Amino acid sequence: MKRALRLQPKARLPFTPSRRLVLRGLLGGLAVSVALPPLLSLGSRRARAADDGFPLRFGLFTWGNGNLPDRWVPTQEGEGDAWSLSEQLAGLALVKPDLTVITGLSCKVPNIVPHGSGNAGMLSGLALDQSTGEDTFAGPSIDQLIAAEIGQDTLYQSILTAASNVNGSSYNGPFSRNPPDTDPYTLYERLFGATFREPGEEGLVDPTLGLRRSALDAVMGDIATLNARVGSEDKLRLEQHLDGVRQLETRLARLEEDPPSLESCARPATPEVSYPDLEGRPQVSARNRVMADMLAMALACDQTRVFGHTISDPVSDLLFDGASAGHHDLTHNEGGDQPEVHNITLQIMDQLAVLIEALRAVPEGDATLLDHCVVMAVSEVSLGRTHSLDEMPILLAGSCGGALKTDLHLRSTGQESTNRAHLSVMRALGIPALSFGEDDGYTEDGLSGLEV
Amino acid sequence: MRLLPPLLLLACVEPTPTPEVPGVRGDAPAYGAPAPTLRRLTSTQLHNSLRDLFGDTLALPTSLEPDEESAGLRSVGAAVTSISPRGVEQYEAAAFLVAEQVMAEGALRDEWVPCEPVATTDETCAGLALAGLGERLWRRPLTEAELTVLVALSSNAASTLGDFYGGLSYGLAAMLQSPYFLYRVELGREDADGERRFMDYELASRLSFFLWNTAPDPALLDAAAAGELETEAGLLAQIDRMLADDRARQGVRDLFTEIYHLYELDDLSKDPSVFEHMSAQVGPSAREETLLGVEYLTFEAQADMRDLFTTRRTFLDRTLAAIYGVPAPARDGFAETMLPEDGPRRGLLGQVATLGLHAHAVSTSVTRRGLFVREVLLCQEMPLPPADVDTSIPEASADSPTMRERVERHLTDPACAGCHTMTDPIGLGLEQFDGIGRFRTEENGATIDPSGELDGVAYTDALGLGAALRVHPNTTACLVETVYTYAWGHDPDDAEDATVDWFLEGFTLTEHRLLALLRDIASSEAFRAAGEI
Repeated sequence: MKRALRLQPKARLPFTPSRRLVLRGLLGGLAVSVALPPLLSLGSRRARAADDGFPLRFGLFTWGNGNLPDRWVPTQEGEGDAWSLSEQLAGLALVKPDLTVITGLSCKVPNIVPHGSGNAGMLSGLALDQSTGEDTFAGPSIDQLIAAEIGQDTLYQSILTAASNVNGSSYNGPFSRNPPDTDPYTLYERLFGATFREPGEEGLVDPTLGLRRSALDAVMGDIATLNARVGSEDKLRLEQHLDGVRQLETRLARLEEDPPSLESCARPATPEVSYPDLEGRPQVSARNRVMADMLAMALACDQTRVFGHTISDPVSDLLFDGASAGHHDLTHNEGGDQPEVHNITLQIMDQLAVLIEALRAVPEGDATLLDHCVVMAVSEVSLGRTHSLDEMPILLAGSCGGALKTDLHLRSTGQESTNRAHLSVMRALGIPALSFGEDDGYTEDGLSGLEV
Repeated sequence: MRLLPPLLLLACVEPTPTPEVPGVRGDAPAYGAPAPTLRRLTSTQLHNSLRDLFGDTLALPTSLEPDEESAGLRSVGAAVTSISPRGVEQYEAAAFLVAEQVMAEGALRDEWVPCEPVATTDETCAGLALAGLGERLWRRPLTEAELTVLVALSSNAASTLGDFYGGLSYGLAAMLQSPYFLYRVELGREDADGERRFMDYELASRLSFFLWNTAPDPALLDAAAAGELETEAGLLAQIDRMLADDRARQGVRDLFTEIYHLYELDDLSKDPSVFEHMSAQVGPSAREETLLGVEYLTFEAQADMRDLFTTRRTFLDRTLAAIYGVPAPARDGFAETMLPEDGPRRGLLGQVATLGLHAHAVSTSVTRRGLFVREVLLCQEMPLPPADVDTSIPEASADSPTMRERVERHLTDPACAGCHTMTDPIGLGLEQFDGIGRFRTEENGATIDPSGELDGVAYTDALGLGAALRVHPNTTACLVETVYTYAWGHDPDDAEDATVDWFLEGFTLTEHRLLALLRDIASSEAFRAAGEI
């Protein structure tokens, strides 16, 4: 499998366990085999912390079908008062101080499959893999590349959510997709249900956690035995499966530890049990709002340091409020200057604003959660009507612990690769990235104008 | 018109024996078997398997790793996709959801735990229960080593919890998370002649998922254990038994649910302000109509499957009858009915499952409807539009009131016409049905012209299009190829083509009866041949 990301060789860091590992005895003192996953015992951590000690986090926000570049790109460049928001970005006014708009970059992959090529290019830095006759990502998407580097210390390496019923585009590799949680209540139960502990509470004392790990040991044994009998492609599939089992086992072990002592961590409000479509239209805003609050708390409670949140998939024909047809349909068939498409972009930016504000509403030390984040918002095309991969929409929010400038419109005039933005984001997160992308999109340079 | 649901009436009729391919066909051609791959159980297969074992009252896990499509089929996607970390988490929750229900006090537990434990830990009794469950869930007997691990796990859990059955639920949950349950492990091995083949339990699993879309039942496992599947007579006896079983209906329903992507009807998106008949019931009803029609042609009528495109017979509930503008044949649920002889609607192309699914949320789509016919019904692969062209069509106006005028550019601009002349004329033939499938004769005040031609056969309306599709040379070849692809979880390549053609020859000789095709494939040498890993 390919990876768009090249890293510096690992530097040996002094290992300091950031949390006390407590393996509570099992009732009855039985010799249940508890295989400690290597993640818990090895000094593989290199997640960078902000200067004030808080962990750095990454969030990916995606939506389908692009924007209207003529009304998206702010007219002035620069920082602070030097620039103002464009028509399409007006809904982000309240978060402008925390926002960076990057314009003029091109997604440099062969644009062969409408939406599909740009999606793979923007999210994995690689051309869409069509080698089997079926479209898939050639390598991991950026959320998973980053999660592999900074997601190892938390209960979940990443949390993936979507405000509509989508498949999402988080990939571990070809044909291996991470499905998002699309139902707010399921997400709540998962993150803040029976196993959730607020700061100050003790870890779970629950003998079934150990028993569940024993069951997973048996499963891992079966995977290993089966792995010896299958072909090379199946071996890769089983490795991916095994990786998931290991992650679950690690999580079950960590539930026995005391929860991190983070002041701002609290159980968010319980969402509705269901969000049925209203008049044939999905309740995108309502779902987005509760998911934004849950994601903010998942970060504040250090349950994860990486999230991906999707409003709609590429080619989505979602019926947005007030729209006379599906989104994708409109991008191609609405005439004139496409007022309905414009209105939908505004609605999507409103969702992004809600997410950013939810992160900013959580205090962390003298700063906010958002200050310890970088949220990257992208779509798979720019102008939906022509599936253009030039003038790609890229927004960043949060300074990532002061590593990135904010309140900035940064414009590239040389049609440079969008991968430069990815590289800057990864470096801001402390990931020792040497390069990102391939072929025309290959880059060893970030965007220096972004970096503090 | 009949007043009773047809299935009740026909239940009393003697089953017709499965038709056989007549002997005039030549011997099977040389066959290059593809390399075997693991296939993840689709969520339907997982549900079917659990229901078979634990009954209809079991609360089934609903949150599972989503199925992926490849080559248009989930059964092919199942052969390439993996299990994600989130999927592992979901399968774990599903395993305990099921295990706790089975091991709760009651009839299920009495059925599956065939002994009284003598103490909180009773390895003999646990072993008996787990061996029985294991043979069904893993579709083969467990090895002693496998059983030992599960018994030890269960006994440890029983001691910890102070409960024998609680402990057993951990063994069962481990089994339900095991790759031996979650994947179909059909890898083949060398027979006495040194040929790699699927035999005994692996063959039983292949047969069962192909014909029933679920795990083998005890009779099939017994036949596998006794070596009966390695004899021609024993194999045919099992295939005929399976095709006569009600689970064959489930198998055929699941097959066509995959082929026509009927699961997408669960998320049918239509703007109710444009389509007053839209409700949450439309999608599920449309799915049921199509499946009842397929079931009728396959089992009750044992008819030529091409009738699917021309038949007036269909099965409607009130929801669909209202859309079709015909009297509802029953007050509740579905019943058989004959669409009016002089009406505009017949066969699959006149059903909401085609007309509504392959359209936009607020309008028809001549391209999507055409694509469905080309790709799914005729197996003609259509390229995607180039990524860098403007594919828009003009809005309706006085000059171009109907879709025929609006898509003219698709059909004349050389950049579009190459593909759109393949799809859009078919869609234009269906334009007398709006985006949800209501009949209409006008659009924006202008008369809709639904005439056209399908690869040389002219038609004047949708009925003629259906008739043209019935006699199109690809129609039957496509169905055979798709059934093969579904059965193998793999798109056939050159070394398999002659065998697919051979199945087509048999299908033609049996006048396109589906049961004959299923029997022919299931009993073929090719179905048992395993490639090198």
